[in-house]
Amino acid sequence: MKYFVKVNGRDHEVELVERLGKLVVAVDGKPLDVSYEEVDDLGQVVLLREGRSYALSIEGDEQRVQVTLAGHFHEIVLENERERAAHAADRAQSKGGGIVTAIMPGVVVELLVQPGVQVTKGAPLLILSAMKMQNEIAAPVDGVVKDVFVAPGQAVAAGAKLLAITVVDGG
Amino acid sequence: MFQRILIANRGEIALRVIRSAREMGIECVAVYSDFDQRALHTRMAHVAVPLGGNLPSESYLVADKIIAAAKKTGAQAIHPGYGFLSENAKFARAVKDAGLVWIGPPPEAIEAMGDKIKSRQRMKAAGVPVVPGLTEPVADARAALEAAKTIGYPIAIKAAAGGGGKGIRIVKDAASMESAFRTASGEAKASFGDGRVYLERYLDRPRHIEVQLLFDQHGNGVHYGVRECSIQRRHQKLLEECPSVVIDDATRDAMGAVALKAGQAVGYQNAGTVEFLWSPNGKTKPNGTPDGSFYFLEMNTRLQVEHPVTEMVTGSDLVREQIRIAAGEPLGYDQRAIQWRGWAIEVRLNAEDPFNQFLPSTGTIHNLRMPGGPWVRLDLGLYRNMEVGVNYDPMLAKLIVWGADRAQAIQRMRRAIMELNIGGVRTSAPAALAVLEDERFQKGDFDTHFLEKLDLGAQRADYDELVAAAAAIYRHRIAHRRTLSTSAADREAWLARGRTSLTTHVAHSTKHAGDRA
Repeated sequence: MKYFVKVNGRDHEVELVERLGKLVVAVDGKPLDVSYEEVDDLGQVVLLREGRSYALSIEGDEQRVQVTLAGHFHEIVLENERERAAHAADRAQSKGGGIVTAIMPGVVVELLVQPGVQVTKGAPLLILSAMKMQNEIAAPVDGVVKDVFVAPGQAVAAGAKLLAITVVDGG
Repeated sequence: MFQRILIANRGEIALRVIRSAREMGIECVAVYSDFDQRALHTRMAHVAVPLGGNLPSESYLVADKIIAAAKKTGAQAIHPGYGFLSENAKFARAVKDAGLVWIGPPPEAIEAMGDKIKSRQRMKAAGVPVVPGLTEPVADARAALEAAKTIGYPIAIKAAAGGGGKGIRIVKDAASMESAFRTASGEAKASFGDGRVYLERYLDRPRHIEVQLLFDQHGNGVHYGVRECSIQRRHQKLLEECPSVVIDDATRDAMGAVALKAGQAVGYQNAGTVEFLWSPNGKTKPNGTPDGSFYFLEMNTRLQVEHPVTEMVTGSDLVREQIRIAAGEPLGYDQRAIQWRGWAIEVRLNAEDPFNQFLPSTGTIHNLRMPGGPWVRLDLGLYRNMEVGVNYDPMLAKLIVWGADRAQAIQRMRRAIMELNIGGVRTSAPAALAVLEDERFQKGDFDTHFLEKLDLGAQRADYDELVAAAAAIYRHRIAHRRTLSTSAADREAWLARGRTSLTTHVAHSTKHAGDRA
């Protein structure tokens, strides 16, 4: 099985083949002799490579994994070949626009745009309050606000849809 | 001395106070919200009183409930910790009126220092140097624009009732004044119920240096030297040190004397901290220390989050001193008794995502791996299975180390962070590690903007292959487990069949029980 692995934004390819019950690993085309041992079922893992052991902490789901190694945090996005094709098609369609989601749970304090309003990248869209801090949520791209899904005073969960932005082709 | 005290707080600071009190032979009463029923402070106290509710406004901020809990349990004094009601003069007064001892400064001192505008006026009058700016609040964005002309950019907009970094905005030019004024005033209103803000000059390459003070009830006061708190973002501190590379002994003593004067001007008692901004003048003193000036910023009329670095370097227990002072004991020593040895660093472990603008991170804590070893101290409030929500402060723990000198302390803190794992939420630990590994930080060359400018995304890539392989194997294992385990539908169907057959069987055997006998 081949995985496209983004580590802190850097692209890598990992190939895993099960041979005689053993996992054969290749990273970016080069074989990597590693053994992977789970310490507990909470995420502590020991990785052995060429006589050196690395104590990792791993958590996440199949698409998004977080690895901490010696205090260094790695944010990882995984795709298999099928998912990669599907995501590429999605991106081509939205051109960087799409749904703006809440990156944290909070309460919508103020809406600064309405549907139909043109916004430039970085322009404040709304103010979200969380842990007593007020945070301006900025437009990720130049575009037009297509839809607003929330109202002032509304509590939102992390990942909740806030608004939709359509990218208009420059002409 | 007290037999029993109540701690009107939660998290690591509640534990911190409980620990000192226990060592003094004092029993502790914890109070807790419904959300904190399983919290460490609830478990570690001798007595725990439920306050009900999940929000701070229903629990830790309800003065009446807390005072009633103290009365009911026979506590003689209340320690407020930091945050919540710790700088609430009304609460301090209510505690005293209820015949209880307030382990903190006199309510009048809290009031005098609590209003940032009044305190500046008062300090100016007492001869304490203050940052150039307005001593009156500004009415609106237009008035702010007008005043800015005389103060000069960059300008800091601050909440009059402020603290904890809430309601502060930095304005670089006139164009951004209106938006900054709006958010600062809005945040101040939401946090303190008071939208008044004031302006002051934002100093060049400033460092945040603070002085720890202790005053007893008998007119004795000492300073415990300085703490360096310049590593901060959005005015929330991330990493603190004791002492500071820019403060030599002479400056420390000068700042200590000014801080004591500030405290005396408001009749201060118990532990307090005077915050200064220190700005370099580009020159270097003969002893190699950068030269500069310091200005009074504000006084925090409570125990500070970062008090442990002072404790590590002076070998004292500041909470113990607070309790002793509140019980009426004299300090029993003077300034000469305060000696500083070595270097201490503290890192705040907050539930937040340093790679995403330090936004709050929520979840359930699991996968904990704690650091240890010589000269490593962990003041914590977290435990496995703890739920981290948005209703409370995101600080989970403080990691503190001591070293013979600064270089050793930095190495030790790096080592301790490498040992640490907190799973289930994102934490500020990787940001602290990035600071500690930065050459400029190691040289002591930084200011309060250092963290904001630090490129946290520029992470080293030398373990990428290993990490990529681990993540792929992790995913492979999840998928593997899924195919091996029976699906939920299968399992339920099997259980349902099991129950049916069991029921039939029991009925059957009852019916024929006699036949078998």
